[in-house]
Amino acid sequence: MNDHLKLDEFSRRRFISTAARTCLGVHLFPLLGSSVASGSLISGAKAKSVIYLFMAGGMSHLDTFDPKPKKKDVMGPLEAIPSKADDILVGQHLPKTAEVMNHVCVVNSMTSKQGAHEQGTYIMHTSYAMRGTITHPSLGAWAMKMAGRINPEIPGYVSIDASPEMTGGGFFGAKYAAAPIGSASEGLKDSRRPDHVDKEAFDRRLALADRLNQQFHDRYKNADVKAYEELYQEAVRLMNSEDLKAFNLNEEGEQARKLYGNGRFAQGCMLARRLVEHGVRFVEVQLGGWDTHYDNFGAVEGRCREFDQAYAALITDLEKRGLLKDTLVVVATEFGRTPEIKAEHNNGRDHHPSAFTCLLAGGGVKAGYRYGETDATGSRVKDAPVEVQDFNATIMHALGIPHDKEIYSPSGRPFRVADQGKPIMDLFA
Amino acid sequence: MKPIATLLIGLFCLLPWAGAASPADDPEYVRKAALKIDSYVAAWYRQKKMAVPEVTNDATFLRRAFLVTVGRIPTAEEARLFLEIDDPAKRTQLIDYLLASPGYSSHMSNWAFDLLRVTDGKSGFGGTLEPYRDWVRRAMESNMPWDDLTRGLLAARGNSWDPDHAAVGYYIRDRGMPLDNLSNTARIFLGSHMECAQCHDDPFGGPERFEFYQLAAFTNGVREASRRPMQKIWDEVSEDDRRRTLDYSVAQVIWDRVYGMSVQGGGTGRIELPQDYQYRDGEPGEMIAARTPFGKTVRMSDKDNADDGREKLAEWVTTRTGEQFPSVIANRMWDRVMGRGVYEPVDEFVEAKETHLPALMNHLVQLMVELDYDLRAFQKILLNTKTFQFVPNPEPSKVATGDDFHGRQLERMSSEQIWDSLITLAGGDPDKKPRRGVDTRVQIGGKPLNLGGKDMKKISEEVLAIDSESEMRTYFEALLEQVKKERSGGGGGGDGMMARQAPRYGGNDQVRASELPSPAPRDHLLYVFGQSDREVVEAASREPNVSQVLTLMNGFVQKQLVNNPGAHLYKSLEGASDAKEKIRRIYIAILSRPPSEEEFRWMLDEVNLSGDDAWPNIVSALVMSSEFLFVQ
Repeated sequence: MNDHLKLDEFSRRRFISTAARTCLGVHLFPLLGSSVASGSLISGAKAKSVIYLFMAGGMSHLDTFDPKPKKKDVMGPLEAIPSKADDILVGQHLPKTAEVMNHVCVVNSMTSKQGAHEQGTYIMHTSYAMRGTITHPSLGAWAMKMAGRINPEIPGYVSIDASPEMTGGGFFGAKYAAAPIGSASEGLKDSRRPDHVDKEAFDRRLALADRLNQQFHDRYKNADVKAYEELYQEAVRLMNSEDLKAFNLNEEGEQARKLYGNGRFAQGCMLARRLVEHGVRFVEVQLGGWDTHYDNFGAVEGRCREFDQAYAALITDLEKRGLLKDTLVVVATEFGRTPEIKAEHNNGRDHHPSAFTCLLAGGGVKAGYRYGETDATGSRVKDAPVEVQDFNATIMHALGIPHDKEIYSPSGRPFRVADQGKPIMDLFA
Repeated sequence: MKPIATLLIGLFCLLPWAGAASPADDPEYVRKAALKIDSYVAAWYRQKKMAVPEVTNDATFLRRAFLVTVGRIPTAEEARLFLEIDDPAKRTQLIDYLLASPGYSSHMSNWAFDLLRVTDGKSGFGGTLEPYRDWVRRAMESNMPWDDLTRGLLAARGNSWDPDHAAVGYYIRDRGMPLDNLSNTARIFLGSHMECAQCHDDPFGGPERFEFYQLAAFTNGVREASRRPMQKIWDEVSEDDRRRTLDYSVAQVIWDRVYGMSVQGGGTGRIELPQDYQYRDGEPGEMIAARTPFGKTVRMSDKDNADDGREKLAEWVTTRTGEQFPSVIANRMWDRVMGRGVYEPVDEFVEAKETHLPALMNHLVQLMVELDYDLRAFQKILLNTKTFQFVPNPEPSKVATGDDFHGRQLERMSSEQIWDSLITLAGGDPDKKPRRGVDTRVQIGGKPLNLGGKDMKKISEEVLAIDSESEMRTYFEALLEQVKKERSGGGGGGDGMMARQAPRYGGNDQVRASELPSPAPRDHLLYVFGQSDREVVEAASREPNVSQVLTLMNGFVQKQLVNNPGAHLYKSLEGASDAKEKIRRIYIAILSRPPSEEEFRWMLDEVNLSGDDAWPNIVSALVMSSEFLFVQ
């Protein structure tokens, strides 16, 4: 229960207008809208923030981070190139990424049983299989619930180009859902008061709306109605925050722009770095189009063009600013793709959940390290399988969130941050 | 004709009721059918010893009926008319009016687009899915019966540019992934989840992988038309140094927009088990025959390839799965009208006898069949029930697996309902604008060409009739010549064609969500409020987030509505006698109800304080209110 809701009507309204006029409100109510539970975190955790880059559609492990150069029939026309880390090869369309692999920990032994997009994406984001009766919180929502916000003035969980369904608060409620950004270059849209509306008028609008909402909420006790009421408070706080500039890519210099490149995903990565710099706990950036059933090699080349420079820039930039040590950068996807190449689909590859690859970098994980192995064709995991839940438990462990703590849903069922998954301790330096 | 209907029809230009005659055209039939449903619900209350909820007031009914049927709030004129007329039959008449208005098919199209994952294009695809989108849109407009629509999609073949065959987009949408397409078919039309069985047996006794492949055999062999006559020409123009030439662009029209948008192969009825097949009942690579997993069995031969597997599948889905096919669609319609399925989730079929109110579900299945899958007629019956008119219920359903029949649950409007309502306030009735059409002209470098009236339909027919390379070469050269001529100003007259094309709208146009790009661009209000990306079935979200609130406070709402003196909303204030009357009109326009005495006082205070600046403030506050955002 937030304190301000207990205040009388006059104080409530005064609070809103105060918050609207200055950012004093933030200091008066530092924990508003967030529940920081730092006492229960594991000590010694290195990561403060997570940048979660999701390759939607199922990134081909064979053509990116688990190439099999000796197997021509598996690789088709694609070749592998060496990287800055001994022992790690990458696909030929990732030349810039190859240069930063000495910072990256490659998990080649990811394995899952979910071979359809929706189910695969869901389990990667929540650690649980999809059920008709309950919606599970996403990783970012768990991070918010368990670790809270770092900066109380701006959203702690932001998604860029991602689907709202997969970045929701689940049974934790809307308060824990990501603030969605549709276009990184535009930042957080509409976060400034319209030019022709002065502060007085703006405050009065809010006060009037607040009265109406209060009345509606008294009539209908409903969680979503309440969520909107609270979001107005949050929005006002955000609008007055100094840190709103975190969302503004225009403040980036020419050099940074050159480093990241002009693509949509590149803008997303650049924005993610700014957000983390300003104390956002969890940022997801999505890059779609990896569902390469048809013309795999043409499509993979196109996706890598989007990914390569942006990812390499992100790692380089974080490192240069001294942020990589406490930022965990994850590259995840819902599954890999088949070693078989389908000639009838113009050399396509189908879904392949039994073996795929994800990446970790920074945030206390080993650098230039390869974990697990697939067989000669990349079809099965040969060594050290990592289930989706283990992978997610590892991400959470990096943030200091214990994997074995049970949290109860409103219906009284116990859930854990990564279901039964356990962190892979060998991945940590 | 009843008085209010006459009035409404007089006020707004209506399309005639499309489609064949239905028993639901007879008011007596509707009354009885609705009563029957209410009697089952009443029995539920008796059984549970609960009080029957009250019937809601006119204002709540009005807004609810508009949002549920036409997906937007009423205009101020519509609201005033309904609230002021004193006629005991006015609710029934309002439903007739709404179901006959073009807004009905617009709102249904959003639903169908989410369900069928209808997008305008897809990454890596050089063609367009707009003809398919248009097919679905037309199907909603003509109220195509659900079984016909299902058959039309599953058995579709031919080329996308022919409006009668544009349903082939159902397969083109999932090019290269026929198995996922089949999983979605099972889920959409039969409420069967088979996606897991694509890779492994269901450990809980559900579908087995073998059964999945047996079903997939019906659709096996779906492909594009053979590109053989064009292959060599394509290879030649695709050489690096020719990629920027006009030759390449013209070849692309044939390669991507004719061949790439065609669907052949009616379903062989046979399929090979996959290389990683892991169970004892079959060998990897073994050829197996089509066989249906439940319902009345349909099977095909494993000896020879047939060409009618998809027709057989469509026939089985629509007529041989017992109550399953009608139940799933009946339940979806219940969900649309009442806010929650009799059983939930709506994409997981439950036999009527296993639901918590078997008699009702049985009846709904029968009704769907009796009405020949006429979705408008079916919804008409539901809309006329008392059950639909109960006061809103703010609490989640007490029945975890479905509707507790305790009044429509309070829920936030869908993203499309919010958008369509906002543009109604900004520009008045949005259905007066023509709906989106398909541009069938040949496009070269993003520019449409006239080509003497030769459009994509004509070119597709001609190209697909060619079966030799030499003939294709002649055709290609001639087309290239024609394109060159028109581009150098010879063939001209593109303007005349342009005028005849139905409109296409961009993200900034203030038209119905159903006419905007699908999905809307990521910086659009529709995205912020959770429109489905239409990559997976029914992926829309109603989760609140801070960006939505920012949009309402500072964004589109402020620019296009609150601070736009030309907004329709402000026009409705003209001629108002005093401040009180203005406040009343603003309330009716935005919340579809007059203000309470207390609210009058609040707003009059604001007028006294701010003078003329009060109006944008009041409008802004009302649109920011939860009452505006929620369907009661």
